[in-house]
Amino acid sequence: MRRTSAAAVATLTAAALALSACGRDNGGGAGSSETAKDISSGKATGTLTVWAMGNEGDILPDLMKDFEAANPGVKVNVTAIPWDSAHDKFTTAITAGTTPDAAMVGSTWMGEFAGLDALDPVPPSIDTSAYFEGAQKTNEVNGTNYGVPWYVETRLIFYRTDLAKKAGITTPPTDWDGLKNMAKAMQDKAGAKFGMGFQAGGQGSWQSIMPFAWSDGANLTKDDGKAYNFDSPELLEAVKYYQSYFTDGISDKAAPAQPTTEPDFKSGRVPMFISGPWMMSAVEKVGVKKDQYDVMPVPAKKTSSSFVGGSNFAVFKKSKNRDSAWKLVQWLSDPKVQAKWYGMSTDLPSVKSAWDDPALSGDPKLKKFGTALETAQAPPSFPTWEQVVAGFDTEMEKVTKQGADPAAALKSAQQQAESVGTGQ
Amino acid sequence: MSSTTEVTPSGATGRGSSPRGKGGDARPEVNAGAGASRRRQGLAAWTLALPFCLLFLVFTAWPVIQSLFMSFTDTRSRDLRTPFAVDIVGLDNFTKAFSDPIFRKSMLNTAYFVVVGVPLTMAMALAAAVALDKGITKLRGLFRLGFYTPVITSIVAVAVVWRFLLEREYGLINTVLGWVGIDGPNWLGDPNWAMPGLILMASWRNFGTGMIIFLAGLQAVPWMLHEAAAIDGAGAWQRFRHITLPLLRPTLLFVSVTTAIGYLQFFEEPFVMTNGGPLNSTISMSMYTYKQFGFGNYGLASAMSYIIFVIVAIVTAIQFRLLRENT
Repeated sequence: MRRTSAAAVATLTAAALALSACGRDNGGGAGSSETAKDISSGKATGTLTVWAMGNEGDILPDLMKDFEAANPGVKVNVTAIPWDSAHDKFTTAITAGTTPDAAMVGSTWMGEFAGLDALDPVPPSIDTSAYFEGAQKTNEVNGTNYGVPWYVETRLIFYRTDLAKKAGITTPPTDWDGLKNMAKAMQDKAGAKFGMGFQAGGQGSWQSIMPFAWSDGANLTKDDGKAYNFDSPELLEAVKYYQSYFTDGISDKAAPAQPTTEPDFKSGRVPMFISGPWMMSAVEKVGVKKDQYDVMPVPAKKTSSSFVGGSNFAVFKKSKNRDSAWKLVQWLSDPKVQAKWYGMSTDLPSVKSAWDDPALSGDPKLKKFGTALETAQAPPSFPTWEQVVAGFDTEMEKVTKQGADPAAALKSAQQQAESVGTGQ
Repeated sequence: MSSTTEVTPSGATGRGSSPRGKGGDARPEVNAGAGASRRRQGLAAWTLALPFCLLFLVFTAWPVIQSLFMSFTDTRSRDLRTPFAVDIVGLDNFTKAFSDPIFRKSMLNTAYFVVVGVPLTMAMALAAAVALDKGITKLRGLFRLGFYTPVITSIVAVAVVWRFLLEREYGLINTVLGWVGIDGPNWLGDPNWAMPGLILMASWRNFGTGMIIFLAGLQAVPWMLHEAAAIDGAGAWQRFRHITLPLLRPTLLFVSVTTAIGYLQFFEEPFVMTNGGPLNSTISMSMYTYKQFGFGNYGLASAMSYIIFVIVAIVTAIQFRLLRENT
């Protein structure tokens, strides 16, 4: 009995000590803007540890051989991380202080990692105006740049040119009504089951809806970029437009959870959809010929815009070899290296001048992606974006599948966003 | 271990031949020695148990305490580096969980899954066990293996196959339904049918475990009782109802408790098949908790985990009450 009570007292004491140590200390931490030190001149030296995800992680070591050749005396160790576990691995490493020197970072993670005070601000000698503006914005947290875009992607509308001709359309539409009429004509005259393959809400559907909202001049933040803004008239207009595809039967309300975009595109069942550059090789793989389809920019209500995604490259504060790490980032942003990387990975360059390379400028479809990237926008870099947009996606599912009122849905999304907060 | 022989009281009295008085003199000495060696023994025991105790405290007890603590604080992912520099918010996380419409929806979904899924799984398991015990005599091993295979198959592979089976237009299930003139539903795309689809898949995947246990239980039912009842004119169903089932009661309890605990925490099926959709019709409590962890809301997610824990405990207690031996 005595031993039990002693243990209980010890536990209680420990708990009390732990609790008394609780409470947030106010002030300090990230939240205010930082100024960055510049990097030394000369070549990169020493050993660098670099993390990269997915396919990029697998082939980056090949590119690093060039960097090592250009900088004798540097050794780069690339660790490939699967996407699924990457976020956990980063947060664990940041908590434990075992971050790599530099890493590929998902563009929606920047706010969170910068908030954890883990990222090193970009030194002034790196020219941030060389990148596409929308992509560069994903690196900006509270007015400070914590990384640079490494590669980018944007969304365009894919359509079957042969079926469009059958439907009587030879020049792609440039406004919202034109796009809807084209989709309708695909159904009426070209034998399509559904004119447009929009996603019926659910995870990630914001990536299809926001391009329309941005093409109407919507802004997803308000109060000087300090708060979410989902119930704006522009976004409402876009959601109403998106919903009309489902109420008019142009898009499939009950599409399966696993989309069958490529085979449907090939068979002509759904001859139009909105997606990113990787879909070009995907539809060509199922047998759509290069001259059978084309891409077009998102039609404008005010000015055409789209969603820009991709990944950034950042240097961690804990790096013992900071200057060389930034030199690596600088080297990766070199237009020639970016063009070479496109050849290796088919990742689109984030540096504008790299698009002059004939491999990119020679392909008319790719060129359209390049043009769209100049006006494409990214969601706000708040750490809570993923959670907030999940609420938005659920509301959009109600709008498309159940015909819920778009205004009420956006009000609900805004309420959820406000209760979650920006997290900054 | 030489000390043991020295201490044992029987050893002390076993010296029998010595006069009583002498033994009386010796007793305090022996007792003192016994006390010291018992302490030594205790020390040895604790030393031997120490590695386990340390591992248990660090890797089992501590996370439990920490997560309980977290559920009463506003911990977010960015607080990981300073886990105690957070504010205590009392029961806020729990009220927040219960006032979250999606969490309430996930509780209803979980209840639906358990209330339909557990009886269905147990009925399938019992039917298969009885068939293997009595009906199927040829290739019994093969069937037993076949029924058990889904249990040990990876959920990822199962998901791929079931997505084909549940496909709206060409899926096997809807094709078979079409033969008898039924226009099958859009299983995974329809909010009303997605959950039945998942229950079907989960029952198919899990009944093998129950079957194996029932099979063992059935073999323990004495044949004599059946014989006696048959002589008294009881039919096969009457014998099953009045002999087999009552004797299987402990087995039924075990299978229903383990199945219900598993189903209350169901996660993999919606995770790989529907991602909780359409319209959150298949999101489970575990899966929503997992999503909250993913969003970095560690405090809220811990509170949700403890809500699940309490529900599991209550449901298990109810089952024990309902299925206990009649006395």
